[in-house]
Amino acid sequence: METHERLSAPLVLEYPFTRTTGPVIGAFLTGLREAILLGIKRADGTVLFPPTEYDPQSSESLYEMVEVGQDGTVLTWTWIDKPRDQSPWKQAHALALIQLDQTDTSLLHAVLVDDVKQMITGMRVTTQWRDEREGHINDIEGFIPIEGSGV
Amino acid sequence: MGTGGETAAVVGIGMTEFSATRGDVSMPGLVREAAQRALEDAQMDWEDIDAVVMGKAPDFFEGVMMPEIFLSEALGCVGKPMLRVHTAGSVGGSTALVAASLIHSGVHQKVLTVAWEKQSESNAMWALSLKQPFQVSINAGAGGYFSPIIRQYMIESDAPDLIGCMVAYKDRQHALLNPYAHLHQPDLTFDQVVESPMLWEPIRYSETCPSSDGAAAMVIVHESVAEKSANPAWIHAGAMRSEANNFPGRDEVNPQASRECAADLWKQAGISNPREEIDAVEMYVPFSWYEPMWLESLGFCERGDGWKMVESGATHLEGGDLPVNCSGGVLSSNPIGASGMIRFAEAALQVRGMAGQHQVAGAKKALGHAYGGGAQYFAMWVVGADKPTS
Repeated sequence: METHERLSAPLVLEYPFTRTTGPVIGAFLTGLREAILLGIKRADGTVLFPPTEYDPQSSESLYEMVEVGQDGTVLTWTWIDKPRDQSPWKQAHALALIQLDQTDTSLLHAVLVDDVKQMITGMRVTTQWRDEREGHINDIEGFIPIEGSGV
Repeated sequence: MGTGGETAAVVGIGMTEFSATRGDVSMPGLVREAAQRALEDAQMDWEDIDAVVMGKAPDFFEGVMMPEIFLSEALGCVGKPMLRVHTAGSVGGSTALVAASLIHSGVHQKVLTVAWEKQSESNAMWALSLKQPFQVSINAGAGGYFSPIIRQYMIESDAPDLIGCMVAYKDRQHALLNPYAHLHQPDLTFDQVVESPMLWEPIRYSETCPSSDGAAAMVIVHESVAEKSANPAWIHAGAMRSEANNFPGRDEVNPQASRECAADLWKQAGISNPREEIDAVEMYVPFSWYEPMWLESLGFCERGDGWKMVESGATHLEGGDLPVNCSGGVLSSNPIGASGMIRFAEAALQVRGMAGQHQVAGAKKALGHAYGGGAQYFAMWVVGADKPTS
């Protein structure tokens, strides 16, 4: 049977978008630039971190931003032995849910340790900031164990 | 006659301020601004709502895939149904009709409906004109698409050249009476409209809609709930139709889907003479000439006479017998996905007597109208100050 070349043409869509952060996320990102961590207080006094403009359960608007601790506790984690090219981290690391002090929710971020054997659920960690910060979640390089804190 | 099923009414309306860039709010903040104002008007709270129906034009406009999921929590939808409607530019209207259908069907008692666009997050005008392989792209946007259709109308109806400018000037004057409107141009003169640059002949710059950020929301409820409200806008009729944008013999000036949608609407509403029985019209006019074109298609006059209504001043709030787009219309505010719902909500405001400075005195019945795509999707409703009789 005779074969025919099928007509095909590339279609690459590239389109610029911007994001308006609004009062809450905007303040959170500005805080990161200043190496300050800001959460937001709910009606019942609990603190969401990262903050949202509204209570995700009741949808009530939230306004009271509060500074939270830079130390926290690893609630759970997984080990990344060989990060892929797109990963912000080049070395082996853990991805963990970290509950910062004075907050009631957890943040997904990296725990920067050399060996999986250093990872323990319940371990204490502290924020490692980048020197150059621009108002982005990656202004936090990751979290590192607090020496001698144990579990 | 009637929409069928249970009777429904609008008891809460909320809109955002419309502007080129709402740089003060995020996308969730924008939709919440409209939704919270609608809830406040309805004297309700998030927890009172049974379901949310959201409308928005293509996801590509902001670059958020399935924004209805992203915005569920922002709109009080935890543990409740969230539906997304998408029918191009008519979406704000069809979203309201889908929300109303949840009441007509007896499924829900209180539904929140929201439509929005944040055009400043990208550039929707040119998002509609992407080059496609194997197709000629003239990169002309919506104006380029509609300008030959408008030219066809001018030829068919023998309309004077400046009718479109009269519509644009009128709507910008109306916009001065609406604090939410995007364009407030108190110093604009008719001559300036005429002298504005020709963008897509015969459409001038001042005859086109702006690109806006904004949202509109309504609370639509069952009659048992509406009866407790001080001034509900009762839904008398609702209709939607669609057709392909290109087929042999298509009447592009006066599409069959538009005519049949209007005929269905008037029949449901028990209206035999729309011009006499309708007190206020909010129709989707993104390019000025669509006012006379839709006046004809909707049956407010004979075919070819729409421009005569415009010329006579019949569609002015001041002294007209059929005021059209007293809010300033799409020509003064165009957050695309919301624009249809703004028309529906403005019609409801009129019959509730809540339109402020752009109120049509004593309005009892009003039309909300939206179209989308290549004039191929249509959504319309009639709302009234009085409960429908059957």
